[in-house]
Amino acid sequence: MYLSLDWAKDWIKLPKDLETKQLALDFTMAIVEVEEVIERGANLKDIVVGKINEIAKHPDADRLEVCQVDIGDSVEQIVCGGINLSKGMLVAVAKVGSRVKWHGEGDLVMMAKTKIRGVESSGMIAAAEEIGLENLFPQKSDKEILDLSELKLKAGEELAEALELNDTIIDIDNKSINHRPDLWGQYGLARELAAIYKLKLKDYPNFELKGKNETKLKVTVEDKKNCFRYLGLAIKNIKVAESPWWLKKRLEAVGIRPINNIVDVTNYVMYELGQPMHAFDAKHIEGDHIIVKQAAKGEKFITLDGENRKLPEGALMIADAKKYVAIAGVMGGQNSEIGIDTSEIILESANFRAASVRRTATAIGLRSESSTRFEKSLDPVLAGTAIRRAAELILQLCPEAYIASKLVDVDNNPFKPVTLEVSEELINNRFGLIIPTAEIKDTLQRLKFDLKYKAKTFTIGVPSFRATKDISIPEDIVEEVARIYGYDNIKFELPKVNIDSPSVNLDHVAARDIKRWFSLSQKYYELYNYPFTNQAWAKKLGLELNNHLRVKNALSPEQVYLNMSLLPNLLARAEENMRWYDEFRIYELERTFDKISHGTYHTDDSRKKFLPKQDKYLAGVEVSKKSKEDLFLSIKGMFSALMEHLNVEVEFEESDIEYASIAYEIKYKDIILGQFGLLEDGLFDSNDVNVNVAFWQLNFTLLLKYINKVKKYATLAKFPAVYRDMAVVVDKGLKWADLEAEIVRISPLIRHLEPFDVFSGKGIEEGQKSIAWHLEFRSNDRTLLAEDVDKLMDDILAILQKKFKAILR
Amino acid sequence: MEKKLKDLKEQFLKEVTEVKDSKLLLDLKTKYLGRKGELTNVLKEVKDLAVEEKPKIGKLANEIKMELASVFSKTERIIKNKQSGGGTDFDPTMPGTREETGHLHPSTIVQYEIEDIFAQMGFGVYDGPQVESEYYNFTALNTPEDHPARDAQDTFWLEQGLLLRSQTSNLQVRMLEKFGAPFRGIFPGRVFRNEATDASHDHTFYQLEGLMVDKDINIGNLIAVMKSFLSTFFNTEVDVRLRPGFFPFVEPGFEMDIKCLICGGEGCSVCKQSGWLELMPCGLIHPKVIKAGGLDPKEYSGFAFGLGFTRLVMMRYKIDDIRLLQSGDLRFLKQF
Repeated sequence: MYLSLDWAKDWIKLPKDLETKQLALDFTMAIVEVEEVIERGANLKDIVVGKINEIAKHPDADRLEVCQVDIGDSVEQIVCGGINLSKGMLVAVAKVGSRVKWHGEGDLVMMAKTKIRGVESSGMIAAAEEIGLENLFPQKSDKEILDLSELKLKAGEELAEALELNDTIIDIDNKSINHRPDLWGQYGLARELAAIYKLKLKDYPNFELKGKNETKLKVTVEDKKNCFRYLGLAIKNIKVAESPWWLKKRLEAVGIRPINNIVDVTNYVMYELGQPMHAFDAKHIEGDHIIVKQAAKGEKFITLDGENRKLPEGALMIADAKKYVAIAGVMGGQNSEIGIDTSEIILESANFRAASVRRTATAIGLRSESSTRFEKSLDPVLAGTAIRRAAELILQLCPEAYIASKLVDVDNNPFKPVTLEVSEELINNRFGLIIPTAEIKDTLQRLKFDLKYKAKTFTIGVPSFRATKDISIPEDIVEEVARIYGYDNIKFELPKVNIDSPSVNLDHVAARDIKRWFSLSQKYYELYNYPFTNQAWAKKLGLELNNHLRVKNALSPEQVYLNMSLLPNLLARAEENMRWYDEFRIYELERTFDKISHGTYHTDDSRKKFLPKQDKYLAGVEVSKKSKEDLFLSIKGMFSALMEHLNVEVEFEESDIEYASIAYEIKYKDIILGQFGLLEDGLFDSNDVNVNVAFWQLNFTLLLKYINKVKKYATLAKFPAVYRDMAVVVDKGLKWADLEAEIVRISPLIRHLEPFDVFSGKGIEEGQKSIAWHLEFRSNDRTLLAEDVDKLMDDILAILQKKFKAILR
Repeated sequence: MEKKLKDLKEQFLKEVTEVKDSKLLLDLKTKYLGRKGELTNVLKEVKDLAVEEKPKIGKLANEIKMELASVFSKTERIIKNKQSGGGTDFDPTMPGTREETGHLHPSTIVQYEIEDIFAQMGFGVYDGPQVESEYYNFTALNTPEDHPARDAQDTFWLEQGLLLRSQTSNLQVRMLEKFGAPFRGIFPGRVFRNEATDASHDHTFYQLEGLMVDKDINIGNLIAVMKSFLSTFFNTEVDVRLRPGFFPFVEPGFEMDIKCLICGGEGCSVCKQSGWLELMPCGLIHPKVIKAGGLDPKEYSGFAFGLGFTRLVMMRYKIDDIRLLQSGDLRFLKQF
């Protein structure tokens, strides 16, 4: 949205010493963000009006002329290739040192004195597009130079001055005025400036309509739910022509290309008030009847821009007795467009439901200046002001035109007047500062609020242009006062509150602890992955894509399914990193998403329905050159250590996982907390992978319940331990766990066993293995003697011989 | 006499630093401390001194003798260790060997740092669902049915009206429902927007929401808390400013800018010559949100802010491509 300061001067007088940079800053601090300040005349520096005194053929070039041009102080020789040059013509001369856009393309280049085919040339006779004026002076050909002869200008005058283009344009970030329908026109913006600089704001004039009643204009609003107001007016005897300079100049200043006087007036009013308007050629409106209704399914309509558009069912349409003539609030139709032969028009000024316009504009993919404004919830009162203003302007531009119908007004304005009771205390408390009552009053009155003040309470009538959605609660008034008074005036002070420690989030404390444990003590890299699952790896792990939660409007087919396990993405990352590293450990702690079961988060305040379960998982992958045995046992050892760290007593139990060559479950009592194992070979695409891959995952949400912070230390041993080693040859298939179980059962004096060597092959019979371990013996009430331990060693051997046919080595 | 002693000491200390083997050291000891050594000779002269001078000079002489003896034995031990080698005849200029360590993700590191700062101001750290209902992501936050933010072009929609949360603000009402007032909390976490990615935009990124609800919370409180946080985080006094900004769940709503830390507000390329950097949206919690959280807006007020957390991480480490953060590339991650 552009604000032209020249335009705003119709209603306010800005302080003379106000610099535009300061104005932009004040605007940003009190109203909305200014993106850029554009000095419109800046690019026209050193471009002046010139008068061609003489024209001669260039001696060496057929298509060039050598002109003697009067530029006020001097007469310069300029070589030019324009096809419309004539003696006495007024032209725009870009003097040496000025900056122009060569042939209307590329960056600005600096003019220098030069020789063109041997003839000296000082400056350039410019085409409109070369000095950024192509919208104001449309070119028929790129060889045509700008002809200013019709405008009564003096040779030597600065062009910006001569054309009154020394305007300052404030470019406002559109996104930041989404909530302010009143700021989509110049008048609304001027009102804000008047408030921040305490200026007098001229009232917006209300033009009295006087005319005949020749055209029996009829408006029928069938869809009152979506059309809040519709005003129509017929004007006859108009003459479609080019707009006058002042009008074109203003439109161009705010970025609108002038077209013809009628269309320009509707645009002018839209930019002045924020109210979109439309003009129909009355001869194409059947029966002088306007009907506002919804489109049926599958209908099409050709808009002004020539596109044949498929209408969404229920789109709000403007029709005449027989056909559609416009898409309400979005764009008019080709079938009733203003043309050079138009002599009678029907003006439309209406108000439509914001959501309806937005839905239609989105569905047909057409965001127009009009729909953009309607989407903000415009004030229906504005429609009446606008149509009067437009009629006034048209009569001014076409002196022979006259109003040919009554002003038809179907008004179903649903917005009720808003009155707020706001205590002065609320304003001061929220602001954290006492603002003088007079200051509050003045600010609100400048913003056109209606005020009564009694018993330290304001009764505030909200003006209709702020009452459609913007201002509805007392806190909105706090903002109005505070922003104009200035946020810079706020004294900041830390809140004075009771000291109470926040409730500790155990989940979070545990996560910090565990992440540090993995990253700082276990050589693991922490990864952040996307929530969208890697489908190739999901398939490799046997995870059915159909069992995943789906994104309906995914950015790409690869980003459709939400992780039900963290492993697919981790394995995909592992595969990528294999290019750089042959050994590494990675993990992630994140939520997974379960399509089938519900969790504990409810979906709304009725607390009856629950969101899909989204437990946090901790999952990891280790890529290693270790043997399968060493890798597996190191992962197993890591979990023993982790669970000891968390004080959770777990057991490991063999399990079957389809993608694992070996897998174990981590169990707390009967509850499975997670799994670990070795990945089956051949799942990685690259052939030369010479590593083993371990994977693991823990349900972190579940694990949390069993982390035990209560720990009691064990009394230090009072009596010394005795250490012995034992080695036996047993059947190769014998499991350590079985052997250990038999030994510890023998006596409570056997405190600890630790295998240190397992060997088969040379010297050991086929099918057998040698296994050796350390033993620790200790008693709580006496020092063990050698005999005690010898006896126990004999007992152990006896049992092992009996149970496992063990032979002592 | 006093000068003589002091000169002797200086001379010894100078000579001893030049000694490199035990033989020469022994010579030096004899020269100064031996039976006919220079210091011994001086000490002998003490008895000839005037009575009133004797204790003073005697004390000094003894101190110097002790000091020389101590320096001598230290030097002797160093020379001995060097000569014997003690099995240390390796090349100590080889690079140090080191145990490899793992790494926390840079976002985790910065997140913990921020959490700790807020924890000191009594803010708890909480989190919640990422697959969210329309109610908590929009409706309870006073975002009207037809608000553009609900559009498909901003939000990832799932089946059954569910969505991937587009903001950590989804926890505002959940937390008020759960904890009531007074409440102070921050909610760091990942959020999702349906938008094309480039070096500065990703569809998955991290926010850090903050919420404080109590009696009589005002705009000044909000600024003070944020200023306090930012000054600690950036380890320098920072200036902030508020300007109007609109977000449905706050009223009044602000954009908070921070005075450019690069140029100190003079204007530079980083702040686009404005002297200020846009930092985060914030505001006083809308009464409807407080009400949705089950509290009485007449009794309680509060503030909320939404820190663009990923951007802070990028600022902290000068990361120029947001996508690196979720690339899982160990070459990147090992730097933190």
